Amino acid sequence: MAVKKGLFKTSVGRKNLMAVTGLFIIFFLIIHLVGNLILILPDSFFPVEFWGGVENVHNMYNAYSHFLVSFWPVTLVAWVLYAAIMIHVIDAIIITLQNNKSRGEKYQVTDNSTSNWYSRNMGILGTIIGVFIVIHMAQFWLKYKVLGTEHDLYELVFAIFKVRWFVLIYEIGIIALGFHLIHGIESAHRSLGIYPKKVMNIIKYVALCFSLVMAILYAIIPIILYLK
Amino acid sequence: MALNAKIPEGPLKDKWQNYLAKTRIVNPANRKKLDVIVVGGGLSGGGAAASLAELGYNVKVFFFQDSARRSHSVAAQGGVNAAKNYKNDGDNVYRMFYDTIKGGDFRSREANVYRMAEVSVDLIDHMVAQGVPFGREYSGYLSNRSFGGVLVSRTFYARGQTGQQLLLATYQAMMNQIKVGKLTQYNRHEILDIVIVNGKARGIIARNLNTGEIERHSAHAVVFGTGGFGKIFYLSTLAMNSNGSANWRAHKKGAYFANPSWTQIHPTALPQSGEHQSKLTLMSESLRNDGRIWVPKNKDEKRAPGDIPDEDRDYYLERRYPAFGNLVPRDVASRAAKERLDAGHGVGPLKNAVYLDFKTAIEKLGEDTIKERYGNLFTMYEKITAINAYKEPMKISPAAHFSMGGLWVDYELQTTIPGLFAVGEANFADHGANRLGANSLLQASVDGNFILPNTISNYLADDIKTGKIPTDSPEFEEAEKAVKDQVSKLLAIKGTMPVDQIHRRLGKIMFKEVAMSRNEKGMIWAIEEIKKLRKEFWENAAIPGNENGPNSELEKAGRLADYLEIAELMAVDALNRKESCGAHFREDYQTPEGEAMRDDENYMYSSAWEWQQGKDWKLHKEPLEFTEVKPTVRSYK
Amino acid sequence: MKLTLKIWRQENAQTKGKLVTYKLSDLSSDSSFLEMLDVLNEELASKGEPVVEFDHDCREGICGQCSLVINGKAHGPEEHYTTCQTHLRSFSDGDTITIEPFRANSFPVIRDLKVDRSSMDRIIQAGGYISSFTGMAPEANSIPIHHDIAESAFDSAACIGCGACIATCKNSSAALFVSAKIGHLAKLPQGQIERNERALWMINAHDDEGFGSCSNTGACVMVCPQEIQLLDITRMNFEYNRALCYNKD
Repeated sequence: MAVKKGLFKTSVGRKNLMAVTGLFIIFFLIIHLVGNLILILPDSFFPVEFWGGVENVHNMYNAYSHFLVSFWPVTLVAWVLYAAIMIHVIDAIIITLQNNKSRGEKYQVTDNSTSNWYSRNMGILGTIIGVFIVIHMAQFWLKYKVLGTEHDLYELVFAIFKVRWFVLIYEIGIIALGFHLIHGIESAHRSLGIYPKKVMNIIKYVALCFSLVMAILYAIIPIILYLK
Repeated sequence: MALNAKIPEGPLKDKWQNYLAKTRIVNPANRKKLDVIVVGGGLSGGGAAASLAELGYNVKVFFFQDSARRSHSVAAQGGVNAAKNYKNDGDNVYRMFYDTIKGGDFRSREANVYRMAEVSVDLIDHMVAQGVPFGREYSGYLSNRSFGGVLVSRTFYARGQTGQQLLLATYQAMMNQIKVGKLTQYNRHEILDIVIVNGKARGIIARNLNTGEIERHSAHAVVFGTGGFGKIFYLSTLAMNSNGSANWRAHKKGAYFANPSWTQIHPTALPQSGEHQSKLTLMSESLRNDGRIWVPKNKDEKRAPGDIPDEDRDYYLERRYPAFGNLVPRDVASRAAKERLDAGHGVGPLKNAVYLDFKTAIEKLGEDTIKERYGNLFTMYEKITAINAYKEPMKISPAAHFSMGGLWVDYELQTTIPGLFAVGEANFADHGANRLGANSLLQASVDGNFILPNTISNYLADDIKTGKIPTDSPEFEEAEKAVKDQVSKLLAIKGTMPVDQIHRRLGKIMFKEVAMSRNEKGMIWAIEEIKKLRKEFWENAAIPGNENGPNSELEKAGRLADYLEIAELMAVDALNRKESCGAHFREDYQTPEGEAMRDDENYMYSSAWEWQQGKDWKLHKEPLEFTEVKPTVRSYK
Repeated sequence: MKLTLKIWRQENAQTKGKLVTYKLSDLSSDSSFLEMLDVLNEELASKGEPVVEFDHDCREGICGQCSLVINGKAHGPEEHYTTCQTHLRSFSDGDTITIEPFRANSFPVIRDLKVDRSSMDRIIQAGGYISSFTGMAPEANSIPIHHDIAESAFDSAACIGCGACIATCKNSSAALFVSAKIGHLAKLPQGQIERNERALWMINAHDDEGFGSCSNTGACVMVCPQEIQLLDITRMNFEYNRALCYNKD
């Protein structure tokens, strides 16, 4: 009898796949945040002589956006990212279905004091993030890159974040992302088997700090733009 | 039938090797034609099952738990003895043999004890190879601790869970054999009878505890690793479902029962706190390495233990036994505790406990060292009593623990029924009238792993041409019918007295008169009471439900029915032995200082009792001959 | 004290179960949780009614046979206790307590609160052992083991196989149970030879028995009577990935 192996075949393999794709998406989150932070910089940050022709945030942001859609290696990485997200989602669905099958009859009374709510509800947090990503991409990626109906991305961003309930949707998405990250980063390392106790303690701490920083920075952008 | 212990020729130290050199063995190709049934999945039964399967026999193992890993060997705490002499403290096989013989008050079979000490060395090797995480020194080599009744450190331990770790190793060896197809396990099965065909044990009748189905299983030989029957006292350190039924039913089919009254009362268990208590949890004897036992000198002491100064404390073990102090053997420690309790010095709400105090040790060694040595025991104590034993002394009390008696076996571990073998606590020979601490894990393991596999072949060698034993013979037919009849009879009682209540009453009778301290009048009274209780059981036991499916009350009732008979035999045996030895202490036979007084002239024998239907038991005596040691007065002063 | 009990009664795995209410009075807070069930069963038995079937044996927290979910928490309100170590002092007079069996698809109900946990045996059968037969062993001290490694191996080996981790896990994953055995044997020098096969086979068996994946929520650790660590699961994942790298077939 042969041993079943491979990423989709065993419980540990499937979790490995979640971990690898999840960590890759986190790598993208950092890049994405750096770009977006341009939006909240003051104009005075761009003295003409220093930046060589770019005289304000508006120009800087649009130049950055243009670079992203026109430089082919970025496009290539983007496709890998889309694939990672899709695999992350499909794998999550497969794992959840399998887990539900394992569960059997439900308890009449449940006591959830033994774990964090966000650890238990990664699927729900993930779904919120998923819905958010669809809205987010429909608003920007679709119009700017695919359809090409919008050319001034900076204007588009500002227009959207002047709408109060769009800001609200973004905040909800980002909060969900923050909690998803707190558990996800630690869990990913555990799934991959980074087991030395000291290393795991550091990872736990880094995961928490990183998630907080990411969530806070992402969260302030729509608010600042709304108020600007 | 005259008893033949089949002790091999030669000097004591060569007997086992001589036996191995001459015994018949079965050709590996023939072993697959032979079936063996093992009853019990603990350290002895499980060890036998795994080892026999490794040799190539077809083995079926039966146990009532849901997994063999839950067998009660799991609860042994302190350790396992072996004459490795890693401590360079003068230990060797002979010294271990002598300690065990002396600890058993010169009432064990010399050749068996020597063999146990001899094989102990291999056992540690075996268990380490299986992955048992024994305690280690910082050098990486194995560590030892000392135990009651000896002056050397020969006890190997895995924190306070040595039994669990040895059992898991054995369980894993069984799982390995299940995977390779040599072993089949039947969990949640209870043995209700053995089947004798042409005078030989050829199978069993078992009840599937999930479905209630009565099943027939045949084999060329049957091995009992069924443990002890200390649960007869109801309150004991044993598991709730531990029982003596398999042994008893075999006894009624012809297996002699030896020294049934020798029950070890363990000195360090948790005291009873209420009427509905079901269990007295054991606190490992190893605690006596660092704990000091005392009671207040003043009977009406009201102060908290911490406030009682040393001059008002009576460290009675240190006072009475200066040489061994708190490390006297169990029977001595229990009896000394009983003496203090009877004198009214007990502590706790029911005045039924003595203090086990770690204050001195914590001051000397620090809390961390004590935590590393006994941490899990302290945690366990706190879980049950809500008392932090680092801060105040533990309250402990004697409780029924181990059956030194059991099915009579010869040197080959075969009972008086040919083809029925008994290993571990289920048999009788190694511990005499008192078992030393850390010798039960040892005996169970060596019987199962090393001794039985080498002696059973002598019997099985005759069966290589027998072929499968059919289960449709009249003998199986008859045995199954008897079992079914008993089940129906129990269910037909439809009384109002819950089985546990009857059991509790039996326990009280037994603990009062057939436990630590015995006298003729009390035991005659006990026998009458047991008979009355037995009558009441069969008239008024409340056993609800039916036989088709799980029915824990029916299981308990079946076991209690047997206990009610075993109890009588225990009293009969204790009454017959007009001397004190080890755990068997007759008030009418004691020294002026209150120590046990043996009568070597008249009682230097093991009592083996034969069941006679409708008549009193018949006593057979196996004389005990000591060639290498001279029985002396056992003194720990 | 007085208690109201809502106890899961179920004839067998094929039939549907339901909670049945019982009232008990005159209980001592010193009595253990299972002794309370004994009291109830004695009452039922003396009335000729079928008793509540529940698993229990050693009643000192080591055999792993007791298996109740009390008010939604495996082994009751106290963390790192077994059911049998739970005492009534953890409850208040007049409480209503819901008692259910350990639930998971791979733990079919036998009756009432008794479940069949042989799926865990089968995982061990897949490779949770060192295949050293009786008689093969070398001299014990020829395998020195660092004190700390022996202690660490013990921490994992202490698992009592009760299945509370599985009963608690929202995914019914047996990861903590499997990892305890893999960790115990992988840490010791004796376990090195079969290390890769053991990890692969046991995780395969885990999946074949129908247990779910581990989400690392840590709920299992909080109910584990022996305090097996989440790190053991992490270590198991390492062992699995390592085995994949070394595996030749």
